Amino acid sequence: MTYLKTGAIAAVALLAALPAAAEWAPERPLEFVVASGAGGGTDNFARTIQAILTKQDSIGRPVVVLNKGGGSGAEAFLYAKQNAGDPHKVIFGTNNVYLLPYVAKLAYSTEDLQPVAALAMDEFLIWVKADSPYQTAIDLIDAAKADPGALPFGGSQSKDTDETLVALIEQKTGADFKYVPFNGGGEVGVQLAGGHVVANVNNPNENLGQWQAGAIRPLCVFAPQRMAESEPIFDGKGWHDIPTCAEQGVGIESYQMPRTVWVPAGVPEDALAFYRTALQGVAESQEWKDYLTKTSQSGAFLTGDELQAFIDNSETSTVEVFKAEGWTAE
Amino acid sequence: MGNFDLLMQGFGVAITPMHLVLMVAGVLLGLVVGVLPGLGAPNGVSLLIPLTFTLDPTSAIILLSSMYWGALFGGSTTSILFNIPGEPSSVATTFDGYPMAKAGQSTRALTLAFMSAGFGALLGVLVITLLAGWASDFALRFGAPEYFAVYFLAFAAFIGMGSASPVKTVVSLSMGLLLASVGMDNVTGEVRLTFGFSELLGGISFLVVVIGLFGIGELLATVQEGLKFRGVSSRIDLRDVFRTMAELPRYWATSLRSGLIGIWMGITPGGPTAASFMSYGIARQASRKGEPFGTGRPEGIIAPETADHSAGSCAMLPMLALGVPSSATAAVMMGGLMIWGLTPGPMLFATKPDFVWGLIASMYISNVVGVILVLMTVPMFAALLRIPFAIIGPMIVAICFVGGYTVSGASFDLWLVLLFGLVGYLFTRLDYPLAPLVLSMVLGHKAENAFYQSMILSDGSLKVFFSNPLVGSIMALALALLILPKLLQLGGRLRRRQPVE
Amino acid sequence: MTVRRFHAEIGAAIVTGALGLAAMIGATELGVGWEESGPQSGYFPFYVGLILVGASLWNLVAAFLAHRATVAGHARTGEAEEPFLDSARLGRLGRFLAVMLAFVIVTLVMGIYVGSASYIAYSAWRGGYRPLFALAMGVGFALALYLVFEVAFLMPLLKGPIEPLLGIY
Repeated sequence: MTYLKTGAIAAVALLAALPAAAEWAPERPLEFVVASGAGGGTDNFARTIQAILTKQDSIGRPVVVLNKGGGSGAEAFLYAKQNAGDPHKVIFGTNNVYLLPYVAKLAYSTEDLQPVAALAMDEFLIWVKADSPYQTAIDLIDAAKADPGALPFGGSQSKDTDETLVALIEQKTGADFKYVPFNGGGEVGVQLAGGHVVANVNNPNENLGQWQAGAIRPLCVFAPQRMAESEPIFDGKGWHDIPTCAEQGVGIESYQMPRTVWVPAGVPEDALAFYRTALQGVAESQEWKDYLTKTSQSGAFLTGDELQAFIDNSETSTVEVFKAEGWTAE
Repeated sequence: MGNFDLLMQGFGVAITPMHLVLMVAGVLLGLVVGVLPGLGAPNGVSLLIPLTFTLDPTSAIILLSSMYWGALFGGSTTSILFNIPGEPSSVATTFDGYPMAKAGQSTRALTLAFMSAGFGALLGVLVITLLAGWASDFALRFGAPEYFAVYFLAFAAFIGMGSASPVKTVVSLSMGLLLASVGMDNVTGEVRLTFGFSELLGGISFLVVVIGLFGIGELLATVQEGLKFRGVSSRIDLRDVFRTMAELPRYWATSLRSGLIGIWMGITPGGPTAASFMSYGIARQASRKGEPFGTGRPEGIIAPETADHSAGSCAMLPMLALGVPSSATAAVMMGGLMIWGLTPGPMLFATKPDFVWGLIASMYISNVVGVILVLMTVPMFAALLRIPFAIIGPMIVAICFVGGYTVSGASFDLWLVLLFGLVGYLFTRLDYPLAPLVLSMVLGHKAENAFYQSMILSDGSLKVFFSNPLVGSIMALALALLILPKLLQLGGRLRRRQPVE
Repeated sequence: MTVRRFHAEIGAAIVTGALGLAAMIGATELGVGWEESGPQSGYFPFYVGLILVGASLWNLVAAFLAHRATVAGHARTGEAEEPFLDSARLGRLGRFLAVMLAFVIVTLVMGIYVGSASYIAYSAWRGGYRPLFALAMGVGFALALYLVFEVAFLMPLLKGPIEPLLGIY
């Protein structure tokens, strides 16, 4: 839980360094613009924050949530561009904000938005059907090497986080899967449970239900260390018992999806500071911790330089994969 | 009958004064949301989600699901009275519901719709109660080729026997397919047919098109005939409601068949919209005598409504047991589930019996509550038709445009509503059928995605659609539905040429 | 002025054909082939567009043939071709559409509230109601929209330059 400590220190430093920061306050209702349809992971992220902010009464104005999930979220980011400089629009996304412009020709660029904070990291795991012969990630990769392009690997959407991860695995290990895109994580989970694909790389909460039922099981998690302790989920195993992929010999140290909050470009610094403080309050609340546990996400409160460094790093490494796969739109 | 005991336990959970109040409130809110086009059930439900954080999950899901039933009822109301489908799944209800209301029988049309909706919902819940475990196993057998086969079947059932000119049907069908392919495709990640317009990136919204085609298109047709609704003189009488209820048993076969179609489509990924079109199409094929469909046939209302609601309630099953929402509203409720800390999955039934069976029990009660509440509003809604056209006409226009705007908050959509209003008017006048356009817009894209996935899985071999008994029999059924009526029709046409109206 | 069915059929066929053609052109940018792993993303739009163009041409020819038949019939029997829109209907439709178009433009400039209030007030006034009553209808409607969408369901509607002056955002 070190993020909490650093977060608290950062907050204190922030308050000390920018005494004027708290002076900006919203003058009209806020719009929370969600870069996904209603019910998606990003939508839940935004609505949870909305509920906590309302409860803490730290905004002082009503908050309206708008879903603009068209074009894999591009609709929300274009909306931010159209509302440049408007401090009453807050955009909720993932890493799609800075990755989408690479894979599709879009009328916005990452410079049209300013990052405020990242509040959570969603983990990725390799999952297989419970009765599959593969016991470790290496078993699966060896099978894919033995029969190139034959094992169907399910994922949600194309040229998005899931396919990027599968491509990364292929690039690092030389395995060759047959990637099959579906519409969302839930659907991919069922396709795996039904045996229509051999493996998937779903986030924990997308596959939790099927794991509880013993229909599928995890092989490894793409994180630098094992996930937090939890209640046993199936067969006496919990999240902490899942080895990391690096441990199993897949040369990928870490692959996570941040849940991020943005404002349009041109919003003044004191408004940014206002949102940082408000979100800091959210990240420290009990309700937020409950949300993280319930959705099996890892907490991470990043702002300022730390956030920028994370984005730069994530952007560079992902774009490498895009280039190697020839996905970049230009 | 372990399930029966659990259900009784569920009723114990569901029947508390607090839950009954939530059901009534939910249904009423849902009615409002459903009546206003654009402000559909998914919007309404997602709006309530933050409010539910303070409730316990069972109360929360009861509130949300009651709102969903209310919205489904409300969506049919505007379909019948104004030819404006409030929800995508009530498009098929306009085909016969609106003509019947126009002929002065709005009370009858609404009562037929609500009663069969209630019947469909109860049938659906009954299936969930009895077959929960079996049904979710069945749904697991559906991979991409099976998905495609189901969509293809829905197409075939509806298109197989149209009365319009075949070439004009083809025009309408292909326009729908093209409209559906505009925008960024989630599955392939490709941006298609936007011609550089950012407004088209998110695609052309189905609801916007439907509001234009049906709502505005029909108003234009009304206007050219002189500024009045033909339903003006309709008598409103509660006795009409009871008289209509008495005629319902006559259509038991249609009701039952449509209910079964709805259940199937609710459990497998077809969803309520596909269910309502498919059951309308099959009801049309099954009927031999009487007035043609599209002129206010009772079966034309009963079939889509029963299927819509049985699919709507059965859609709760894959949502709870598999974590796959088969409608937009179910997707939102599933989001709620996760925030409340419940994980959809096969184990939910075992780990949270109070929640699951409380919800199922509440579905029985809130659908009955819904039917009663909505029937009480029939005279009120029917009275709307008495308002002079100079006032109600522009109000409908304004509501259509507001509805078009709220779908995705884009002012560009106002132009689309206007444009499709003109298209709807012109097409109706020139005997281009609108239904194939709507259907292909709903299913075309999903079918294409499923086809694409099947091709990846099979390395480009079409044999995948006959690779196992399940997918093979669905495909065979679809082909039969597509070809047989055409052959029969051809035989009939050779004998007598029908005048085209 | 009268629009004949013949004209309307031809207009519709040209528009649908143009749409098909546009789709075909748009699809060629995406690749319209059939790869080893199935169709490229332009495959379906291209061929559906092609079918649409074909069907539209068919309708065009059919309209011409039907027209020639009725003209021939007209010469023989003296019966005129059925009108699609006679001048009375055309006038009604044209006026209604013009007002609707004005409504859309006013809405885009001034927002939905001003747009719908003035549209309903104007139509009610033209429909024979007293100006004050008509105005009340319009304002009442806009108010109802505001209460239902903005207040009850927190759905912001399109606003113009006037609302911020009233403190409504």
